[in-house]
Amino acid sequence: MAGTTSAEEATVNLPLPDRGTPIPSGDHTVWADVSPLLDAACKDLQDGMLIHGDNFNLFAAMSALEIMDPKMDSGMVCKYYSVDEAIEDGAAPVPTSFDKTVDVQRTIDIMDHLLACEATWHKGHSLAQTVFSCIYLLRLDRTSSHALLNSYCRVIRATCKAVISVVSDARTHEEEDLFTMTYGLPLNGDGDEKCLSMLHAVEETISRQLRACKAPSSKTRVLEDLVSLQNNSELEEGYCKALLCRLRFRKHFYHVLTSMKRPQGRGLELARKHIASCISELEYTLSSSEILRSSTFGSHEGNLEDKTTASGCEPIGFDASLNCRLSAPTPPRAIKILSWKKAVEYFIKLLHDLDVICSYPLDPSLESVLHFVVEFQKSQPDLVARAHLQRLLVQDGKLYGRDPIFAVIIRAAALPESTRNHDIQKQESIIQLGQLVINLLKVLCTNGAWQRRKLGKILQDWRVVFVQIEMAFRKEFGENANISNDQNVSVKLFQHILLWVEKQTYWIACRFLILGFELELYSLSEYCMVYWYIYVVLIKLAEKTSLKTVVCNDSGKRKGKKKRDYVKDVARDYRIPPAVLFLQCQICLAEGLTMMLAALKNDRMLVQSRSPFNTEHERFIQQFELLQRACIPDHVSFSLFVESTTQACLSNLVMYDYFKDAHRIAKEIKSSFSNDPEKLAELRRLEQVAEHNSIALNVISRAGAQDPSLKVSFEFNHHPCFATAVVRRS
Amino acid sequence: MELEGISKKEKEESGGGGGGGGGEIEKVNLSSAGASEIEYVSYGGEEHLPLIMGLVDQELSEPYSIFTYRYFVYLWPQLCFMAFHGGRCVGTVVCKMGEHRNTYRGYIAMLVVIKPYRGKGIATQLVTRSIQVMKESGCEEVTLEAEVTNKGALALYGRLGFIRAKRLFRYYLNGVDAFRLKLLFPRPLYSLPSQSQANNDNMAMPLPMED
Repeated sequence: MAGTTSAEEATVNLPLPDRGTPIPSGDHTVWADVSPLLDAACKDLQDGMLIHGDNFNLFAAMSALEIMDPKMDSGMVCKYYSVDEAIEDGAAPVPTSFDKTVDVQRTIDIMDHLLACEATWHKGHSLAQTVFSCIYLLRLDRTSSHALLNSYCRVIRATCKAVISVVSDARTHEEEDLFTMTYGLPLNGDGDEKCLSMLHAVEETISRQLRACKAPSSKTRVLEDLVSLQNNSELEEGYCKALLCRLRFRKHFYHVLTSMKRPQGRGLELARKHIASCISELEYTLSSSEILRSSTFGSHEGNLEDKTTASGCEPIGFDASLNCRLSAPTPPRAIKILSWKKAVEYFIKLLHDLDVICSYPLDPSLESVLHFVVEFQKSQPDLVARAHLQRLLVQDGKLYGRDPIFAVIIRAAALPESTRNHDIQKQESIIQLGQLVINLLKVLCTNGAWQRRKLGKILQDWRVVFVQIEMAFRKEFGENANISNDQNVSVKLFQHILLWVEKQTYWIACRFLILGFELELYSLSEYCMVYWYIYVVLIKLAEKTSLKTVVCNDSGKRKGKKKRDYVKDVARDYRIPPAVLFLQCQICLAEGLTMMLAALKNDRMLVQSRSPFNTEHERFIQQFELLQRACIPDHVSFSLFVESTTQACLSNLVMYDYFKDAHRIAKEIKSSFSNDPEKLAELRRLEQVAEHNSIALNVISRAGAQDPSLKVSFEFNHHPCFATAVVRRS
Repeated sequence: MELEGISKKEKEESGGGGGGGGGEIEKVNLSSAGASEIEYVSYGGEEHLPLIMGLVDQELSEPYSIFTYRYFVYLWPQLCFMAFHGGRCVGTVVCKMGEHRNTYRGYIAMLVVIKPYRGKGIATQLVTRSIQVMKESGCEEVTLEAEVTNKGALALYGRLGFIRAKRLFRYYLNGVDAFRLKLLFPRPLYSLPSQSQANNDNMAMPLPMED
């Protein structure tokens, strides 16, 4: 390996002697001077060589630093060696200026920059290099004489702690491990529990100052013996207002966090009120920008778009390089702090996301919870919002900290409430199933990239638990298990749960495949196999959903009827439920796209370059490895895919147009979902995809084969995962 | 952190990703003989190291110590290639291979072609050479990471048969996501260690699924 020299043998294994109590030479040890040996070894070493052991690996190599290389040497890029040195140098004076007007301006700048830092932290950078680049925050006690700065910094610190606690509790931070890294930061200080009362006192004072300056005479001021905020009377009102909305935002935001933390979602209603207040205070803050910009003496050039303060001035009291040595193991980076405007936008988005969470009615049905989480994720919420959602959903191993997981499963499997105390829940496989459900809820709250990886892995667990429950069932009831015996509650429990587990497994598989589109993991040459796989999984999902509906109706209707009558009823009454038709519509689209893509390939209208190293088969194995490993669905293989697509040709496709079927179903079932705006919107999207693809198919088949100038491409302009064919003449 | 979890950028020949400055760059005109003017050289020893380091330092954002370079080129010199034009080193690829969770896996660590030489297939040539050696050395698959915005690199690896196996959230320190790209080699039905590549290619039959 690199730079290994004969000097390696020169490593001498002697303990470093403690200066106070030298270890005496004994029978087994003797002191020897190794300096000449080291000197000799050093002469052998050239620049860039090193002595290393066998365990020197890539990680060790990557961790090596080159001293005085500005990209690597964190010591080099610092302006100050310590916070104290920065303070001595006057980098963070208290007050920020002896001119009261300038002091207020600068304090507002510090507040704004801190907000920008906080948003940057939420967006995935380390706390040390964002919020804690603030020297005032690093030495909070220094600001005790400056009530405004002190109370603001204190509430910031308390807020950071509260946010870290949510994210750590939720363990969503595994995906973004920088977030909760607080090593070496003064995050725990005395008196933070009083931060709200301190903030309140300051807010009171400024409110009075505002009232005083708006009063027609100086009467009020004299009466209350009130000192104005600063010296320039023309600016007094603007500054008071600018400070008030900033302080109030902090107050309400802190309240949002504490209310949402209350167990079993008891604080959600209160949190919503504070969220509304936060948003309106942020809007005031935004509108204060103009007056701040016009009143500052600083430079006005440059666009506000990339400034970190509302005034456009550089804030004092910040030095990101002070902490960069704490941000190990990564090399120090210059972090680009979000602009103040972007930070405000971030917080408004965060608050809207939190509001969506708080307005969820804590529905005990697992199906609606899963639906809610999936819909919530569509707005791409950031880590903090997702962590809040997760903590709300899973507390103490219960849904909302309230409903035991077995009860949730019972409901999901369409079993009567009376079975919720059944002994079956003590069985190991059922306990495991409960853990899988909790885990699934947590995974669905993580970011898309992480979520897909985890979903792929848990598929196998769901499959295994299914097999285990089935085995437990057979063990208990022997081969008679197949005979339906509705007298036996346990049999029914097992059957329902097994059916539900299967359905849920296909639901996860579907989500896994669809997330691949959202994450842009598929390329055009793989669309055909991906749609085919979605098609086979959807068929299974529809099958299980349909079976479940039958079973549910079964339990409902059977009571008090003779078996023969019942069978007749089913035959007469059975209508395909809307949920199944909805899946049917997606099945038609997936099948249509599979066949269209296969036909385009077979008819040589989509030219795909051949890889010099592998074939479609290897790409199939890789793309669906996790599904195949878990046998989802059974008996699905590459050869089946080839078999189903190799005959596809455009002329046949027009004869049987899957898109027309999809279009028809979408139209038909709209009325069944008139109370569900999200489903309706989805149906409209599916309808559009079907319509456009049907037209495209016709155009291609009429002109296509003879027309080499016709170019077909696929776009996601109508639906995030069902593509629309676009035909152009080149 | 996995061994491969090293963030690094890969800039590619199209220059489409990573905000390659566009119009300012003067493109080099190769004569009609084109690509044949480019000479591809396997890593030959310490004298090549400064050339590789110069290219990578210039084009990629991540800082690598000299030990990182040596780690790769000393252990896998056969996987490191350079492209020369008129005596000037204009591109390089640096790789490794080894056991990873029960598979023998190749890994493309750095791939650089300097801007004036992009769009001429040099990166494809470089990386194809490395992959070929990996295949002949018994690798079952090859992986790497690339920025999601680096369309040029993604297209190049797509043409070579790589799939996007995972998306890595904010993988790079600049906050950009990465794709983990993977290329699976066809598996011979009876894999004997001594079997030659020519034989493997003839056995194009359905393969058993991985367990």
